[in-house]
Amino acid sequence: MQHTFASKDGPLEVTLARNGEAYVLEGHELILHNRGRLHVRLRDGRQCLAHAAKVGDVWWIHLDGRTYRWERIEPGSSNADDEGGLVAPMPGKVLEVLVSEGDTVEAGTPLMVLEAMKMEHRIVASDDGTVTSIHFAAGDQVAQGAVLLELE
Amino acid sequence: MGIKVLVANRGEIACRILRACNEAGHPTVAVCAPNDIGTLFTEMADEVVPLEGETIGETYLNQDQIIQAALSTGATAIHPGFGFLSERADFARAVKSAGLVWIGPSAEAIEKMGDKMTARQTMRAAGVPVIPGEEVEEEDEVAALEALREASTRVGYPLLLKASSGGGGKGMRAVHDPAGFDQAATGARREAVAAFGDGRIYIERLLSGSKHIEIQVLADTHGRTIHLGERECSVQRRHQKVFEEAPGPTMEPGLREAMGQAAVAAAEAVDYVGAGTVEFLLAPSGEFFFLEMNTRIQVEHPVTELVTGVDIVREQLRIANGEPMSCGPLMIRGHAIEVRLYAEDAANGFLPSIGPLSMFRPPEGPGIRLDTGVREGDEVTPNYDPMLAKLIVWAPSRDEALQKMRRALDEFVVLGTTTNIEFLRDLCDAGPVVDGSTTTTTIDDLWPNGWNPPAAPMLEEASLLAAASAETLGLHRRTTAGSSEGSTGPASPFTTIQRRFP
Repeated sequence: MQHTFASKDGPLEVTLARNGEAYVLEGHELILHNRGRLHVRLRDGRQCLAHAAKVGDVWWIHLDGRTYRWERIEPGSSNADDEGGLVAPMPGKVLEVLVSEGDTVEAGTPLMVLEAMKMEHRIVASDDGTVTSIHFAAGDQVAQGAVLLELE
Repeated sequence: MGIKVLVANRGEIACRILRACNEAGHPTVAVCAPNDIGTLFTEMADEVVPLEGETIGETYLNQDQIIQAALSTGATAIHPGFGFLSERADFARAVKSAGLVWIGPSAEAIEKMGDKMTARQTMRAAGVPVIPGEEVEEEDEVAALEALREASTRVGYPLLLKASSGGGGKGMRAVHDPAGFDQAATGARREAVAAFGDGRIYIERLLSGSKHIEIQVLADTHGRTIHLGERECSVQRRHQKVFEEAPGPTMEPGLREAMGQAAVAAAEAVDYVGAGTVEFLLAPSGEFFFLEMNTRIQVEHPVTELVTGVDIVREQLRIANGEPMSCGPLMIRGHAIEVRLYAEDAANGFLPSIGPLSMFRPPEGPGIRLDTGVREGDEVTPNYDPMLAKLIVWAPSRDEALQKMRRALDEFVVLGTTTNIEFLRDLCDAGPVVDGSTTTTTIDDLWPNGWNPPAAPMLEEASLLAAASAETLGLHRRTTAGSSEGSTGPASPFTTIQRRFP
């Protein structure tokens, strides 16, 4: 019962232990109740109900007022990093491109203005670098996740 | 003999209005865009007319199509809800000339209040105090920027740029020093042109440390105009309200009466009919200034309903039907709080999010009201406003209302789409919210570098246990995620009992 999940510090290996009916991790225990309800007993003795739903590869977990997302990495799949690509956070329209290819920018420099849901959103440089390519022009519609421009 | 009501809106507010009509016995018609077919509100109407077109302009903003839908179904009245066509004087006029009842104030009243610059002038004339500032009527882009720049030096910094046709924070910019003025003004104009087709901008002095207090008014066609007390809606992010309450936590009866009378004077100045809201800024000095009047039902109307016992939408229907309103003398009882649940990532600049509502389990119990237009299994799309629901609680005191809201938010399960629930929950513990000293800059003051969820390492570990266990157990294969038909409801005796009746 080993699973790998993505985390901000890289892949996270999780090995579940068993204690009778319960699954155990780091001293926390979980028992499945009927209709998909998960009963959790925390290491400190607190008990709560967890709700779980999977969307794509991501498990959404609600626990004691908090919602967590854990993306499961299928064994054997490679998780390509987005190397300097700046992606559209949501579908929308490009209002303005504020830089040109070849421009040197500092982290935080506004690069593009998107409009979505009637509000303007600025796309800013995540790091210092040079704009190597721009994939959209003002007026273009972009899908969520589309690579807008690339920095190196 | 009553009216037959077409609701020219969608989502949560369409549900609210359709339910009120059902209660009052008025037959109903819904209109819906192709991407709204099968959503909750369409199931609450007696008849549904599909609108043709893809964009909002071709559907919910298409006056001809909506009026045709009313005429073809025999509807006799149109309720516009909020947003969309609700504050369009030309639509109010078109509805009337088609021989239909407009559930709202006259086109003239909408015009006088809807154009924010005209409203400021009308209020000055009626003796209602307005925020110091200047209106710039110039239409030409270059000339307007020049005139605005000049006016800005007279108004002084910090200042607010606002679209004359604005609302909902669109076309609005705060400017703290002259260096940022040109960029802000250009952005505000562009957003205003895109959202309203009108780039005229006015300037107001930014009164920091102020509270946003608004007064609900009702006026019928029998000569009666009343107010239903205040709501405080100071807590805003990106100029949009997220946390609203009634009564105002610092309100005194004398000030309530003064603001109520000013609101009634504002409504009477434009011969107002129906439900409306007069918004004020309450400065730390105790002075209050007219901000604008919303000539429609408002998102946060439920908190007033819970503390006054008045069903505002029901009164709108009564007034539109030509009856006198049924409200007695104003009585305020207990405390109500509303939070707006948005599909947005509060930890990432409140960016709107999309996705399936794989699980949507609202809280329940005494004193809890949920106004929503979605249910489990629906998809959150970028097509419309990202507000999913309004969660409203009532309790005898403000402290108890806050306690109830905390409990309700902890119980609220939404999986599959990122929401602001944890942000709202954190807000309920914030000092200014707890002691009632909130102002319009509270969110920025509390989290100047953006909000992040408070760390809870133990819960995070346990959530990883839950994810790994759910995967091992194959929970995603047992129930269809994203479907409301699963095994979530109570077992039906017709499917579980193997019994034959003679």
